Amino acid sequence: MTAGPGAATAGATQPDRDGGLVAVAVNMLGVVEHPAMGDSPYRVDADGHPYLPVGDGGLVFGVRLGDPVAALAGDHVAPGACLVHPEQAARHALVTYACIGNPVEVRTGRAAGARGAVTGKRGEEGRVIAGFRQDDLSRMRPGDQISVRTCGQGWADPGLPAGVVAMNVAPGLLETLPVTRPGQGGVIVGVRAVLPSKLAGNGIGRPAAGWDVDLQLAPGDPLPGGGQLLLGDLVAVTGLDARYNLGYRRGWLTVGVVVHGASPLPGHGPGLTPILTGPASVLQVEVDAAGHTGLTESGLQLK
Amino acid sequence: MNVTSNAAQLVRQTLTGEVWPPLADRHGYRVGPDGQPFALPGMGGMTLGVHCGDPATGYASDHLEPGASVRHRDPGANMALQFLTCVGNTVRVESGPAAGAVGHVIGQHAYVLVDFPAAVSEQVTTGDTVTVTATGQGLVLPDHPAIVVKNCAPGLLARMPGGTMPDGRLEVHVAARIPAEAVGAGAGMISEYANTDLMGAYAGLGEDLSLGLEGLCLGDVVAIADADHRYGRGYRPGFVTIGVISTGQCMLFGHGPGPSSLMSGPADAFTLVEDPAANLASWLHNDREAGK
Repeated sequence: MTAGPGAATAGATQPDRDGGLVAVAVNMLGVVEHPAMGDSPYRVDADGHPYLPVGDGGLVFGVRLGDPVAALAGDHVAPGACLVHPEQAARHALVTYACIGNPVEVRTGRAAGARGAVTGKRGEEGRVIAGFRQDDLSRMRPGDQISVRTCGQGWADPGLPAGVVAMNVAPGLLETLPVTRPGQGGVIVGVRAVLPSKLAGNGIGRPAAGWDVDLQLAPGDPLPGGGQLLLGDLVAVTGLDARYNLGYRRGWLTVGVVVHGASPLPGHGPGLTPILTGPASVLQVEVDAAGHTGLTESGLQLK
Repeated sequence: MNVTSNAAQLVRQTLTGEVWPPLADRHGYRVGPDGQPFALPGMGGMTLGVHCGDPATGYASDHLEPGASVRHRDPGANMALQFLTCVGNTVRVESGPAAGAVGHVIGQHAYVLVDFPAAVSEQVTTGDTVTVTATGQGLVLPDHPAIVVKNCAPGLLARMPGGTMPDGRLEVHVAARIPAEAVGAGAGMISEYANTDLMGAYAGLGEDLSLGLEGLCLGDVVAIADADHRYGRGYRPGFVTIGVISTGQCMLFGHGPGPSSLMSGPADAFTLVEDPAANLASWLHNDREAGK
């Protein structure tokens, strides 16, 4: 293990405590995305008004884990750098295999050598969201090459109870999050809020290993129980099964990390990258609307 | 429907397309709700034996598209075909042994979906070219300014029961009401393209997956609760969207029989009348297969 961002999960492989399968790490190339637009700059919001989307992909600095989602004026704003690959099939593979907490390292450009960590992923064509220190981000530009040490997808965490599936998380990441295992075969996750599945928007019906699901919270919508949603928060959705595709299942629960901000587009909103899914009888949550702390820069050693 | 509209001002545009082949990759299988691998027909091509008025589910199929699945070969022209074609538009077969036969558009699903009489369907295959007489986008109901109409041919609007009520609301007959929890893939997409898959209709796959939607029929007009499809497709409490079930059985999780959007607005702009006959088959497809 080396010091620095993502160090908790920097090992090439993670031995399994109970003799199960060992997670394999793969170095993959990501390229810092340049935002792309069509001939018209406008999108149309839920009330039929045109707007110009700012911050939807590419490199965004000045926005950090812990910032309130409501404070972001753009569309799907993610903190840090969105990583893609010019070949679409390789891009899907990068997004599928990258896990939150995986270490990344800049290979080219003025920030070469800088280290960061994966903080989330987005669906459709696919984007890996990578966090860096702000001074490193300010020296990066679209086209910079980033090596992503992907590890964790498909790996069965032996510390989780039967029926609960972890996904999109680096081995060891759950230990840095408010996830406790009380010992009677259950797991308890601290979350900012619990939302009903009818708020699950774009991303539903898509494979959770490579997509986020947008929470249909319009900018300014209050959270049930109060409090405000921050980037990096853990949020639970009832009635949602994320083991394969995301879909409705009564009695089920999915917990994810808030990875990007809100959107004026109907059916869109703050994005949730699923990390745990299972029967609600086994996967339990504790809501802390005011004091919750989820994925943080300090937890990822980005400070 | 007894309602004032701008139908006389709409233009008609002649568009072309072809019956598109089903598509697969060399790995074949996709994954069901419990991780079941499956390889099932339904999407693309000319699907036989399933028409408007038939049950939407109960087939060994995934993303069942009844009838012909039509695209245009040029990507830009294809988007025009998908956006401009409306439910109820007429489609004429131009090549092959069925040339000259006419069917109707029943919805969109990344393809324009066309239902033909059974005897015609038997003779249509992948690659056959068709002409779509597209009309309906831009349809406005001046007495119902809160309601946005889309993907609806003026001829279909005229045949639907209901209309402007004395209290100013628009009466619409629906065969089923859909809870917001059922909305699956399609959320967040534009509402002039593809449709909204409804979860909770996985016939025979478990009580924990059911939202009581196993009785839907293809062509049913349905009302989706808390759905605003005026400028896209999103959850909005207090709104309602009227759609027509244009696709059927799904095995892929988060997917299911899907309505193409026809009207959307605040719930208090509508009076919904539950009517089992609220189906395209009652108004457009009187010549469908005998005995069904």
